Amino acid sequence: MYWVSVVTEAGVIAILALGLDVVWGWTGDFDLAFYGYLALGSYFTFVLSIGKPVPPVQYIIGWRLPVLAAIALAVVAVVCVAAVVGAIALRNLRGIYFAITTLGAVSALYLLVENYTPLFNGYNGVYGLINPGQSALNLTYDGYRIAFLVVVLVLLLLAYLLVQRLSRSPFGRMLRSVREDERAAAAYGRPVFSAKYRAYLFGAALAGLAGGLFAIFISAFNTGAWSPQELLVVYAAILVGGRGNPRGVIVGVFVVYIGFIELTRYLPSPASRPEFGPALRQVLIGLMLVLMLKFRPEGIFRERPGVDRGPRPAGRPLPGRIGALPSLIAARAGGGPAQARAASASAGDARSAGLGRDGAPEGTGCEDGGSG
Amino acid sequence: MTTFLVTVGVGLATAAILALSAVAFTLQYAVSRVVNFAHGEFLTIGAYVAYSTQAAFHQNVAVGAVVAAAAGAAAGLVLNIAVIERFRGRTAITVLIATLGVALIAENVLEMIYGAANVSYGYPQGGLHHVGPFLWTTSDIEVIVAALAVAGLIYLLLQRTRFGKAIRAVSQDRALAQVSGIPARRIILQTWILAGAVAGFAGFALADTVGTFGPLLGFNFLLLTITATVAGGLGRPYGTLGGALIVGLVIQIAGTYTDSAYELVFAFLLLVVLMLFRPNGVFVRRSAVAVRA
Repeated sequence: MYWVSVVTEAGVIAILALGLDVVWGWTGDFDLAFYGYLALGSYFTFVLSIGKPVPPVQYIIGWRLPVLAAIALAVVAVVCVAAVVGAIALRNLRGIYFAITTLGAVSALYLLVENYTPLFNGYNGVYGLINPGQSALNLTYDGYRIAFLVVVLVLLLLAYLLVQRLSRSPFGRMLRSVREDERAAAAYGRPVFSAKYRAYLFGAALAGLAGGLFAIFISAFNTGAWSPQELLVVYAAILVGGRGNPRGVIVGVFVVYIGFIELTRYLPSPASRPEFGPALRQVLIGLMLVLMLKFRPEGIFRERPGVDRGPRPAGRPLPGRIGALPSLIAARAGGGPAQARAASASAGDARSAGLGRDGAPEGTGCEDGGSG
Repeated sequence: MTTFLVTVGVGLATAAILALSAVAFTLQYAVSRVVNFAHGEFLTIGAYVAYSTQAAFHQNVAVGAVVAAAAGAAAGLVLNIAVIERFRGRTAITVLIATLGVALIAENVLEMIYGAANVSYGYPQGGLHHVGPFLWTTSDIEVIVAALAVAGLIYLLLQRTRFGKAIRAVSQDRALAQVSGIPARRIILQTWILAGAVAGFAGFALADTVGTFGPLLGFNFLLLTITATVAGGLGRPYGTLGGALIVGLVIQIAGTYTDSAYELVFAFLLLVVLMLFRPNGVFVRRSAVAVRA
């Protein structure tokens, strides 16, 4: 049963990481508030499903919905919060400014939740969601936990398929073009803000879902569960697996959460100093983060460039007056059709470079665009 | 009115420590353009090394301060050589993530050495003094005087010495400074040492003022430092002093009139608002529309 719980946790975190990778890996925004969305998803799942608070416990809402409905509503609530945060933060802030602002926002939220008890019962947190639906499904405790693991893995697979599909879609390629060079993407008519915004909401929805599953997984949730350090481990996992590559992200999470954290669980701690082993593990995670960034920023699995399955863009005339431009230039210059073709081809190349990463130099995928 | 003035007095003491930490942060940013999320660890290291050695130096506050500054300087030197120089040419956000990793490492190494439990200095806080309308402890006064002295020294350093001139040149344009014969790399390294020293001293002052501290002392102070720095304008040492004053007063006044548990909530909301409306600081008229790192 121990391993069931370990794999379940890794599965839930992998869903979170897929969402985070859409924001960080595809659009290049280093968001330190992201763990807050998991926390909110978790809190909302609790307060929507565990019924009225019994004093001295205090929290908002206090409905007794079926847990699936609670998770669905929690995802909606998280997306609403992300809609506000994203609308404010993504408009103008980029690079380090975005990172600092999101850290400020999540820290304010964290302290508010910790100190304002009527919201989510302060630092004591909410609890009481123990295997919801176990008796209705007629399962033993262990049977329920195994069934829950299967549900988590199925949801992870679905999330992976969705993200993978999105990654290869024109939308995914547009996001990467925005990441590589925001101005160039805007110049080619990509709606930069709207693209980033939609990606942000999608990522937050996955985080909310992960939060709901996390609620069932740990059955109690308080501020101790989402300090900023937790998110750093997820970033390290994405970096190890391969940023921008959904399969790499999942592998990274499983490597870091199962391989790394479980193996280091057996680090020696002197009896008088129980915190020694866990602290050493954090040191190793920090080292892994720095060393990966330095020596292999693309991770185990390199991000795969988007493939355009349509006709070669070079052969397709651009619409409207821009499309007519190459021949106009050729006509002005008095050149023949060959020159016009060459001009058209170079315009097409520039366009495809702006769309996918076909022409981008190796390794740039791991640096952030728009931070010059 | 008395409550208000006492509050302002406490706010000034907070602002003094904040000013030390933020000036170090901003000087270092000015020359190397690195947002150092491991900056808080300079404070923590300074505080802990002074803690380890206090018995050896017979509880002498001045020696403690010097030891803390030296430890911070050493940390600045090591971080610059071991990490920052090796990440040269990488994007600002990559370096930021790397320093975040370093912060995680440093914080937990300290926890492995000193344990997670809080420790405290044995220095006497001294009695309360009425200074004008304010009410301060002896150590409050020491911290305020020290902060003013450090600010004055940094002003003289920047304006009157060759080193200061080089710092200003490098912070304006590293490449141009380099071709003008200024050894930019050495200047940056020296600035990191200086920033580490000031931050280590700030850590000592902070630890002494709050009483007990743990391995998260500096990291918890980091965001406050960044808030003060942003309020004054990233990379502007003089503006930062004003920024620290604003943030110190805001958290004390807001905390006193609501609940001290929320004072940091106000500070961080202030940070978000500043980022959105005055990302270049409150002392700059013109505010860029699109901020790029």
